[in-house]
This record gives sequence, structure tokens and C-alpha cells, in this order.
Amino acid sequence: MSVVEAATRPLSPAVGLFARRHAWTGAVVAFFAVLLAWNASQTRNFGAFEIQTMLASTLALAYLAMAQSVVVIGGGIDLSVGALLVLANCLTARFMEGTGFGGSVLVAAGCLAVTALLGALTGLVISVSRIPDIIVTLATSFVWGGAALFVLRTPGGGTSPTFQTLVLGSGNAWWPALLCLLGPLLLVWAPLRRSRRGIAIYALGSSSDAAFLSGVDPLRTKVVAYAFSGLLCGLAGTATTAFTGGGSPQSTIAMTATLNSVAAIVLGGVALSGGIGGLVGPVFAVWCLYLIPNIMLGLGVDPSYGEVVKGVVVVLVVLVGGLLRARRSRTG
Amino acid sequence: MTAAEPILRVRGVAKRYGPVEALRSVDLAVARGEIHALVGANGAGKSTLVRILAGVVRPDAGEVEVAGRPVRFRSPAHARASGLAPVFQDPAFAPDLTVADNLRLTATDPGAFRRRLSGLGLDGIELREPAGSLPLPLLRMLDLARVLAHDPALLLLDEITAALPADYAERVFEAIRDARGEGRSVLFISHRLLEVQEVCDRVTVLRDGRNVDTLTIADGAEGSAGTLAERSERRIVAAMLGERAALAVSEPRRVAPPPRAEPGEPALELRGVSDGGRVRDVSLTLAKGEVLGITGLEGQGQDELFAILAGDRRASGGEIVVDGGRLVARHPYEAIRNGLVLVPSDRWQALLPQRSVRENLAVAQYNAPGRWGWINAERERRQVAGAIARLSIDTRAQAQAKRLSGGNQQKVAIGRWLVGGFTTLLCFDPTRGIDVGTKHQIYDLFRELAAAGKSVLMFTSELREVPLACDRVLVLYDGRIVAGLQAAEADEATLLSAAHGLADTLTESR
Repeated sequence: MSVVEAATRPLSPAVGLFARRHAWTGAVVAFFAVLLAWNASQTRNFGAFEIQTMLASTLALAYLAMAQSVVVIGGGIDLSVGALLVLANCLTARFMEGTGFGGSVLVAAGCLAVTALLGALTGLVISVSRIPDIIVTLATSFVWGGAALFVLRTPGGGTSPTFQTLVLGSGNAWWPALLCLLGPLLLVWAPLRRSRRGIAIYALGSSSDAAFLSGVDPLRTKVVAYAFSGLLCGLAGTATTAFTGGGSPQSTIAMTATLNSVAAIVLGGVALSGGIGGLVGPVFAVWCLYLIPNIMLGLGVDPSYGEVVKGVVVVLVVLVGGLLRARRSRTG
Repeated sequence: MTAAEPILRVRGVAKRYGPVEALRSVDLAVARGEIHALVGANGAGKSTLVRILAGVVRPDAGEVEVAGRPVRFRSPAHARASGLAPVFQDPAFAPDLTVADNLRLTATDPGAFRRRLSGLGLDGIELREPAGSLPLPLLRMLDLARVLAHDPALLLLDEITAALPADYAERVFEAIRDARGEGRSVLFISHRLLEVQEVCDRVTVLRDGRNVDTLTIADGAEGSAGTLAERSERRIVAAMLGERAALAVSEPRRVAPPPRAEPGEPALELRGVSDGGRVRDVSLTLAKGEVLGITGLEGQGQDELFAILAGDRRASGGEIVVDGGRLVARHPYEAIRNGLVLVPSDRWQALLPQRSVRENLAVAQYNAPGRWGWINAERERRQVAGAIARLSIDTRAQAQAKRLSGGNQQKVAIGRWLVGGFTTLLCFDPTRGIDVGTKHQIYDLFRELAAAGKSVLMFTSELREVPLACDRVLVLYDGRIVAGLQAAEADEATLLSAAHGLADTLTESR
């Protein structure tokens, strides 16, 4: 007993802190686990194939939710993520058509550079003009949407099948899609989150005055946040190309994707007021939002109700979460 | 660079915000190893000067020299790199970040921070807690420790002791003295003259955006009676007031409050009202037909007290009695229904800027529409016209309230309750930023209302208007009422001393 005590005592405050700071993400993961178990119980021989389907079909939206999270954590909101996804989708679909695997990878890399640059430009415009994020990104969403029509006038284009398999996996191989998702999380976000620049993003969203007084450069921070967001939008567009095997410049895709990204981050524990949240919670939220209509289908309910339930879940979760947060801040 | 060279020299610094001249021309020199106080009444320009020195705003004119070298700060980071480190009333901590992350933001060495914290008598602080979950006084201490950890040449402390518990304040003073011992300098801004005299070497007094006096505490003012402290205090107060004190005497008193034989029945009574923080055990009685003034420095609990009375904030203790009945207002609506109406200091809180004068005046009446919820347009027109005539509101720009002048906006904000009806009018700084003529119209109105049996409770930060408008005045300090005077006896110097929490005044009046 004394050994246990000795082992747990110094740890427990740290564990408690960790649990409190990541309570929301934990809750979303638990919610996802419940939904996944439910869905699995509905399907005969639930296994790797179903997981692969889920990961592959949600990869684009997961990237997009991450893109939206970075901006919202930094105290902004990006209404152009969907349009940038469509632009990236059209760019990759047009230039990957007829290329082999190497060519497709090259095109993808070029596209990511373009979207990251467009994101940085958006951040620069917002910072310099002092026009609110919501207005600038609304405007850029029209620009990106129009540019997508120049790149690809009608749905079409293509990509290398090897590239598709490598990004999404196929059959029972579910891990390529997961690796693609973890890539930017581990390679870009994890180091950024621990760097001064990453902390500055959180600080700017939490209190721009305090951040400024602490020596944060608001312009540079905004540009970094939007550039990373643009990179993730590019990944989302590329994932869409891989998933659909082509590109489509329809503006409704952009709008739906943007709204879904906002729903996902709200459900995933990112505060719209900025400064709070992470990128993992929103990804799990995307998976939850994917599973809900599937479960409805399994129950034999008209899938249209799935959208209704999705909306109700978002409102309920945010309501309950908000109440819990308010109570905690009052007691402690 | 010699040792006699001051660490900071400010020459002719000026700053204007739109039409407001916050700083006209300030000269200031802070020597090495000196604790230099900056004092002045509200709006004298202290905060603007600190914001300039901290690199938050840029001056329009003038020069700043640090250790003999001219500088133009581009950002707070730049000022800090030059050795000037500020601690503001609102600590510069991002609330959602942990304390540790906040330290990384400023590239503060955690070891040095810990050492400075123990120097302040604070050990065992959990740095992984979000900064926003810590109480404000503690956060301010952490801010001070962080600033000290950077070994600044000059500390800028802006009202650091405001709303700070006494034991913390004592530790702050110790830390300041230690910093002086290490050869650092401190620019110490405070409303509390007692602590200024206790801690500081020299004092510079600002008035209306200029430095009007600098004195060494140890010298006091020569050639006058009393102890050293009393002499320097008198000189500081005189410098803060300047010619305004003389003006108040010379200006003919247009409104002479009629001597009141006996106060009427109480309209409003507060018994030990507190809110668990800023308002502490406030008791007062406001009679029908009385104009009662409350005054105090910024942040002494007046905002909270008025919010409680207006039903916008809950009291945690004590009771409010209106017309003999206890009132627990959970919402401004309930306070208004009981005749307690507020005219806030910020007119935009009260007015609908895009709507017409008529709608702005009538809006309080929409609470009590006629039968079937219809608004009686004829009655509304009549009452609005009555209020406009009574307040002589200039209606040339009546299509939109935002186009009115400040004085007319204030009249509309008050006139709304003449239309809506009330028993006690709560006015927060009703003449802030208003021209003299309109001010006197507002005083006249208060007198008229009082003569008609209504009561007025007004907070004012302008001490000289107390004898012009009020029957009695109470002084609020640190959430308590520390003095109560008849308006006729309330000269500006007495009020100012009481408002600064000076001991002798407190004992006299208690």
C-alpha cells in the first residue's frame, strides 16, 4: 500500500491537471467509442474494411476541421476553408490526370505550397487591414471558388491509382489513411504546439492584449496560423482528389465543407472565442459526425433524419459542455 | 554614461486621442536606484504616460531617453528589451494558457521566476494551472515576479496596489525596496498618497497632461507647519488640484441647495450591502427629496455598488430597502419596477444610437403599455414633448441619438426616466465630458426633482460639483464608505484626502 501511495502521490496532481485540461477531448473520444461500438454491433463482421471506409471518407473533412481549429484557436474564423479545399481538389485533379505515382506526389507537394501561401496571404491581409477575419475569409472564399472554376471548368480530372491507394489504403488496409492524418499532426502541429510561436497562437486567441504585452507579434502569429491552416486545406483537397478520383469545382461542396468544419471544431472542444482546444478533439468529432447517419441507417431510419440528429447532438453537447465549464470555473 | 545620468528622461511627451489631449507636455527624470512616484487626479494622464513608456502606444511628440540614449519604442517587447518593464492593473497573462506557457511567451527563465516568487513570499504555486483560474491579486504578484525575473533597469508599476490585499501590498513594497537596493529604479503610480509617502523617494504630480510639481519626500514643503508627512501631503494635494480649487471658490454658485429643515422619509436604505469583493458593508439612507452624492477614486467599488442597486449584479450580503420593503432585484427590470432607475456613465450603454430621440425617450415606457399591449401614441407624444421641453433638449438632430452632442445625449438618457417614471434616480458621473452650461442644467434638474419629492443618488468623480448639486456626500474607499459630509462643508481638499484614504480624515469623520 505504501508503495502504491508513494507511486501515486506525486503523480496524482499532474494526472489531475492533465485530465482537467483534456477533459473535453476525453469526452469526445469516449463518445466516439460508444458510437463505434454501436455501429459495430449493427454490422455483421465489422472490421478493418469498415474502419478503412470511415478513415478514407472522412480524411478530407478531418484535415479541414484541423485547418479550422488552428485559425479559431488563434482568435479568428475561416469561412474559406471549404473553398480552398475545392481549389486544391481542382488543382490536383487537373494536374495529376495522366501522371504516374511520382508525378502525383509532385503535384500534391506543389498544391500544398500554393494553399499554404494563400493561407499566409489571408493572414497578412487580415492583420494589416484590421478587417475582421470573418469578412476577409468570406471574400477570399469567393475568390478561391472562382479560381477553382478557372482551373477546372467542369467536374473531371484524375489521379494516379497508386497515389490513391497510398493515401487512402484499400480493402482491409486502414492504416495508410490514419498515417496520412497523423503526418501533419506529428510533424507540424506537435512541434509547433510546444514552440513559442505555437503558444503565441493560443495567447492571441485567449487575450490579444495580454499577448501583445507579452511580446507576441500579432502579424507574424496570424500569418503562421493561417499558413498552417492553408496547408491543411491543401491536404484536404488532395485527399478529396484521391477519394473521388477527380475534381469538382461546385461551390456547394465548399459551403457544406466549411459548415461541417465549424460543427466539428465546436463538438471537438475548440472555443469559438479562441484560445481553447486542440486538433485531436475535432478529428474525433468528425468521426462521430460520420458515424451518426450510419447508425441511423443501421436502425432503419430515413438517413435524412441523420442530419437532424447531427445538429441536435452538436447543440446538446455544446450546451452541456458549456454548463460544466461554467460550473467548474465557478467552483475552482 | 555616468552614474548621475538618469535611467529615464522624458521631455515634452504629448499624446492626443482624437479630440482629447491625454498628455500635453510631460517632463520627467527618474534617477538610478530611485523609487519615483507619479500621482494625479483621474484623467491627469498617468496611464497614458505609462502606456507610452511600456511601448503600448507611441507618443505624438517629445523624446524618451533610456540611460542617455534616445529611444522610440515599437512594441512592448522592444521596451522590455530596453530595460523598461511594466506591471499593469490587468495582468498581462493570457487566461487560457498555463502560467508556464505564459512564461515561455515572454521567454522568462522559470528558475529566476521561482526565485522572485519566493522573494515575494509565494511558494508552491502550480505553474501548470491556466492563468485565468488564479485570483486577480495573485496573478498580479506573478506578473511582478515575472517582470523582476528579467532584471529590468526600471519597473513601471501602474496602480499595482489597487484592490490588492494588505499583506500582498506589503510584500510589493518590500520587493520594490529590494529592487532599489539592487540599483534598479521604480516608477510607482498610485492613488494612495499614504503608501506613496511611505515607499517613494520623489513624487511627480501630473495635472491635465502636464507635470506640475516634483518634490522630494524627505524634504517635504519648506516653511509650513505640521509634520513632514503632513506638509508633503498638503503640497501634493495642492498640486493635484491646482487652480481648479481656486476656480471652484470664485465661480458664482448658481445653484444654492436650499437648506433642508428635516429630511423626508427614506426612499432607499442600504444595510450592510456587500458583494463579496469590491463592495464591503455599505450602509446609507437616501431620503425623499434628497440629492446624495457619492465620490471616490477609480475602482473603489462604485461601479459594483451602482450595478447592485440597478439590479444588474447580485449582492451577497446585506439588504436593500425601498419604500419600507426589502428589494431583491434579480434583473434591472425588477429594480425599475420598484422605482430604482440607472443612468450609466457610458451613455452608449443606455441609448439606442441609431434610433430617434423620441424612441430613446419613450423606450422605458414600453414596459407598461396600455390595454391589449397597444402603445398609446398620443400619450407617448405628449410625454416625450414634455421631457424635451423640460430638459431643453436640442432636437435639431433628433433623427438619430448618436448625432446629438454629448450633453444632449445625457439629457436624453435622464429624460427617458422622466417619461418612464421613477422614485430614485441613480446617476453615474452624469456630467462626464459635458460642457459647463449643460452641467448646470443637469444640476438644476436634480434640484427640481428633489423639490418634487424624488431622490437622486449620484456618483461623481468631479469633486467640485458636490456642493453644486448635492445635499450630502459620502466618500467611498476600498469598497467602504469612509466619510460622510454635508455638501456645504465638503470642500475639495477634504474630499480628496478622504478619497485617498488618508488616515486623519477617516478618524475625524467616523
